Amino acid sequence: MVENTQLVSLTVDGKKISAPAGTLLIDACKASGIEIPSFCYYPGLSLQAACRMCVVRIDKMPKLQTACTVPVAEGMVVTSESDEVRQARKATIEILLGNHPLDCPVCDAGGECELQDMTFTYGAAESRFMEAKAHKEEQQWSPVVFFDRPRCILCYRCVRVCGEVMDVWALGVQNRGVNSVIAPNMGDHLECEECGQCIDICPVGALTSGAYRYKTRPWEMNHVGTVCTHCGDGCKTTLGVRRADNGMEIVRGDNRDKSGINGDFLCIKGRYAFDFQQHPDRLKQPLVRKDGKLKPATWDEAFDTIAKRFNAIREQHGGAGFGVIGSTRTTNEENYLLQKFARSVLGTNNIDHHRTADYPAFAAALAGKPEMAASLRDFEKTPAILLIGNDPTHQHPMLATAIRNNVRLHGAKLFIVNHEGLKLRRQSKAYAHIPKDGYGKFIAFLGGDDAVASALANGHTNREQLMAMREMLRGEHQLVIVFGAEVRGKDLETLVKLGMSHTGVKFACLGDYANSRGAADMGLYPDLLPGFTPLADAGDFAAEYGASLPKSAGMDLEKMVDAAKAGKLPAMFVVGANPMARYNVQLGELKNCFLVVQDMFLTETAAMADVVLPAANAYEKSGTMTNTYGDLQIVRPAGDFAGAKPDLELIVRIADRMGVAPQSLVPFGRGTRADMGQSRGAQSGEADRHAIWMVAQGIEPKVSPFDPQALLDEIQRLVPGYGFSRLNLFAGNDVPTHTAGKGKGAHQDPELIWPANDTLFTSGTLGRYSNTLNSVVEAHEGKRYPTQVETD
Amino acid sequence: MADLVQHPDEVRVISQRFGKGAAGIETYLALGGYQSLRKALGMKPDEIINEVKTSALRGRGGAGFPTGMKWSFVPKESAKPKYILVNGDESEPGTCKDRLILEHDPHAVIEGVLIAGLAVGARQGFIYVRGEYRYLVDILRKALDEARAKGFVGKKICGSDVDFEVYWHTGAGAYEVGEESALMESLEGKRGIPRIRPPFPAVVGLWGGPTVINNVETIAAIPHIIEMGGAKYASYGPPKNGGTRLFCLSGHVNKPGVYELPLGYPMKKLIYEVGGGIPGGKKLKAVVPGGSSTFLLTPDEADGINCDFDSFSARGEFLGSGGVVVLDEDTCMVNFALRIMKFYQHESCGWCIPCREGTDWLKKTLTRFHAGGGVDKDIDNILYLSQNMLGRTFCPLGDAAAIPTMSIVKKWRNEFEDHLHGKPCPYESRVWPEPALA
Amino acid sequence: MSVLKDIGAIAKGMSITFGEMFQPTVVENYPDGPGPFKGAKFQERFRGLHVLQRDENGLEKCVACFLCAAACPSNCIYIEAAENTEEHRISGAERYAKVYNIDYNRCIFCGYCVEACPTDAITHGHGFELAAFNASNLVYRKEQLLMPTPAPQLQR
Repeated sequence: MVENTQLVSLTVDGKKISAPAGTLLIDACKASGIEIPSFCYYPGLSLQAACRMCVVRIDKMPKLQTACTVPVAEGMVVTSESDEVRQARKATIEILLGNHPLDCPVCDAGGECELQDMTFTYGAAESRFMEAKAHKEEQQWSPVVFFDRPRCILCYRCVRVCGEVMDVWALGVQNRGVNSVIAPNMGDHLECEECGQCIDICPVGALTSGAYRYKTRPWEMNHVGTVCTHCGDGCKTTLGVRRADNGMEIVRGDNRDKSGINGDFLCIKGRYAFDFQQHPDRLKQPLVRKDGKLKPATWDEAFDTIAKRFNAIREQHGGAGFGVIGSTRTTNEENYLLQKFARSVLGTNNIDHHRTADYPAFAAALAGKPEMAASLRDFEKTPAILLIGNDPTHQHPMLATAIRNNVRLHGAKLFIVNHEGLKLRRQSKAYAHIPKDGYGKFIAFLGGDDAVASALANGHTNREQLMAMREMLRGEHQLVIVFGAEVRGKDLETLVKLGMSHTGVKFACLGDYANSRGAADMGLYPDLLPGFTPLADAGDFAAEYGASLPKSAGMDLEKMVDAAKAGKLPAMFVVGANPMARYNVQLGELKNCFLVVQDMFLTETAAMADVVLPAANAYEKSGTMTNTYGDLQIVRPAGDFAGAKPDLELIVRIADRMGVAPQSLVPFGRGTRADMGQSRGAQSGEADRHAIWMVAQGIEPKVSPFDPQALLDEIQRLVPGYGFSRLNLFAGNDVPTHTAGKGKGAHQDPELIWPANDTLFTSGTLGRYSNTLNSVVEAHEGKRYPTQVETD
Repeated sequence: MADLVQHPDEVRVISQRFGKGAAGIETYLALGGYQSLRKALGMKPDEIINEVKTSALRGRGGAGFPTGMKWSFVPKESAKPKYILVNGDESEPGTCKDRLILEHDPHAVIEGVLIAGLAVGARQGFIYVRGEYRYLVDILRKALDEARAKGFVGKKICGSDVDFEVYWHTGAGAYEVGEESALMESLEGKRGIPRIRPPFPAVVGLWGGPTVINNVETIAAIPHIIEMGGAKYASYGPPKNGGTRLFCLSGHVNKPGVYELPLGYPMKKLIYEVGGGIPGGKKLKAVVPGGSSTFLLTPDEADGINCDFDSFSARGEFLGSGGVVVLDEDTCMVNFALRIMKFYQHESCGWCIPCREGTDWLKKTLTRFHAGGGVDKDIDNILYLSQNMLGRTFCPLGDAAAIPTMSIVKKWRNEFEDHLHGKPCPYESRVWPEPALA
Repeated sequence: MSVLKDIGAIAKGMSITFGEMFQPTVVENYPDGPGPFKGAKFQERFRGLHVLQRDENGLEKCVACFLCAAACPSNCIYIEAAENTEEHRISGAERYAKVYNIDYNRCIFCGYCVEACPTDAITHGHGFELAAFNASNLVYRKEQLLMPTPAPQLQR
């Protein structure tokens, strides 16, 4: 936090400690293992000194001082625990408990409440007062935020996190004195980004979550740290799960331990939109089309039907008879397995996915310079950021938060180029509002082409402002250039080439879904093998797969759908995607196409299928995911839904029925008898503990054909850029991958990139099945929150 | 409009133009107004500050910080503009001197702002008037308009090359805003809550610029100091307690009012000679020496004390803002404590826990106690609560509420005991008149 | 003399017999006695089948705080919580126990749950006839544990 590394030494409770000059006493103590209690102090937020809990005795000062406002000084002598200090803290709690209701048994925060902990520590449980406590009815501010006023201790953490971190400023303080109350921006309700940061940061149970409210107690849940399945930022989320009739139900999402790349940040999707997991529409058993209608069937029946038809089509048409479409939300292992299955078992290069960014061009542009790919962590400290296209507030909320925090805490300079008025504009140093089709021209302008400047100036930003911005940019070092799907192909190449003239420059390419980057890295392309390896360089892969891989490029997504419509594609295998909705294919338009779909819900695509297999989602399986910056993280099973199986298991089982030895797909222990359920367990919590134990003991099971770790092994061996530290990954940290470094890529048709254009309150097909996302007012009534900042 | 009083012992410096219509600029000029400004324009900033230091002028808001020293803390060079801010948020119960100054002599305040600005290098001044003093705003606005018309405020004041703007501003009515950092927040248009110090306003104040914040009375004394010289001003009072101050005498005295007396004037004389004694020849029970946030004095203590800063601080107490409230023997001290606590509970800004919750509990407990619902442990609880508010709060408001309560419980504990066990208030219904606090 | 002595001895001996004969019986007439416990008598402190109490309004005292489940050393209490609404009010507080099961296969009658309860909702009754032919019958549901509704039930 403090750049000045000059150390000062001081004495706290007789212990000599040292800390960088300028550190606050409370932080210095914490770093040395001396805990000083506080309600209002929160690292990274502005100082309040309102709760008076962190008082300490500092020699030569007349009164007790608040440790949260005093910076360390050379030779300072501090007493943090003494009768006087304890008494002062106890009295503060006593005074506070005068009005705080003692409804801990029903309070959601009971068991994880800071006030409760401190009352236990300082022993102020007995009240001196006889007067009645002030009572006010609980208020519902939004479907996800409830406010119980009497419980509020007015630490103002919510007000600050909403304003300073989120830049929403939806909360404030009304009235004064004992009538002070936290109030929402709309009088009786909130209209905001609904991120729920205020709930998580509340030290007591005043702000509670609509999703979790009164459902269970903190110690009754299992807590599983995994990766959010929504956008491409890959936030770590800790899911609280409890037993339910049909497996394990997720009841809470947060990241209070601040582990992972996102610290304690989560947006509405990460915090609440896990509820699709228990949606009543979820498929519980396989469906097979009989007499023109999808009817429930047994797993055996479903696998037999698929295997029989797949084998027949393979014999009749060869690999060209298949089209395979992968998902942007399945794990790396599943994506890798899918392409391996398509290429080595089905024998086809007709494989694609929903592309949301031009990763192949990015990899090609960065070839040989892996260190120039930015991690999400690079946005926390870098002194300058250039954002071209995209709206991170909506599509990459964590990136937006990292940028805001960097600007606020470290004074980073933010430059924005966009065709709309973004909310991040408030943090920007310079803002170029350009025409929608002007990105290519802007990049040319950056390169020195002054002729296009007049075409870029469109009434919002004039020529002089553009010139000034370019001038400022040219002086920046340690610049991170981040761009969305607006920058593709040639433009991307030019931009990266231009950027390389800055020292210490890094780049990031923004794709939309949780594992969009993983799908690209794992080779879900008709003309690229994993790691953006051209088909011609298939050597390693062909040797490992023990099969001759198809040489010529296959059909892309659009061509596959067209072929299926024209009756020229006998079989299609869709894993966790909804291409028919995107290409607006109506029921009955597919001709002579045997369609197999693995999905959670009966989507438009699934409704056309001949066989539908109920799949588990990313919260219900283990594996790894790569976020759009290339940070690899481990996914752990949290929820469990009876009837659904992970896509990995489904693919292996299909292959098994087709007569393929599972070992040839998943390199699990050769000759070992498989334990067919090992990687899942009866309760996901147990499976998770089991996995952690295995990791801790250094045992890699690889005893099951459904073991994603066996595939991870192969990915690590074969996929360029995936030579990461396993130790770090399994310890729950994010590790950088560098597919870009060795990636050679191939030119892709830019028309195939369809940005999802999700807002904070939508999340592709998944968002349709999240009741919480659909319940907030901001998602409806044509509101787009935050309202765009008008350019002036 | 308040009636003016007088007494032969008075030394009229600040109040010399009271009652003479000096609110109009013509009269003010006729009475020697704006001469000090002209004089100050010819002085170097350091000379002005030294003159103020010589005068031993100490802040009249209550804390008594030497004004000259305060000014000298302002950095000479500053990237941000410097400001002069006059604290006219006079809300201390029992104190009513600033309103007289602003009513009878607003130009002295304006002139003081200009001189202070010249001394520290500020070119903008703000006069912040308490929200409840709505009628003073009209007087002040008129005075500012006149001063601007005459060229004392605005571009090139008095024909010099100095541009100086003075603005008036008013609050919404909050005691808390009398605290200097809360005053700045309020002036900036925010919620009136105090700021974390350090940095002190002299370094980082209004909108981040160095700011001098002085009480109305302090600022009003500046033109006189420049005019008569610091040494002469200092000679009115005892050493280190320069000059005169306005004492606001109220409560149970025959002749309440605002008197300008030299510092160090004996309290006994103030009550019995200047104030004309207690009505009905009743005995004295207690004296509030300087606004409700000071330690109360028993009759014995009041007998032997002189009204200057050092005499009080020697006792570990303080002189306060000059609001002397006299209480006779028929006053119920429990009710008095309750009345004070009602005020602080109402005025607490709610920022920090001990003050917000503590004043509320004290008010509730005292209400019940005075109504006859008290139990033995309440007395100790009241003391415990106020002791735990003292020095634990963010700003001095918590101390202000705790100090009188503590001193009442300690010095008049017997009166609390008389209320126990459901007995009705044993004292007459005559209490400190409520309107004085409102 | 010896006869008298013998008669005396017999009388002394029989006095105890006859004396005891007219004393109230110390043997409990279980299971043929009156009352819900069929004549069985208990010390007040006896820890038997749990009873979930109601408050004076007939509402359930249990607020589903899970503290009994947390305190239980044999992990035999299972609770599912739900929120009270204005129309559908089960307990006095915001939350109530939708499901409250005690598995008497595992319960060791230690009384920790009773001690842990902040609302005095769970208590030990004196029910003791807990044998069953089927282990699954030993999982008691809330309806079996709850104190009968006093008639007439006071609804708010």
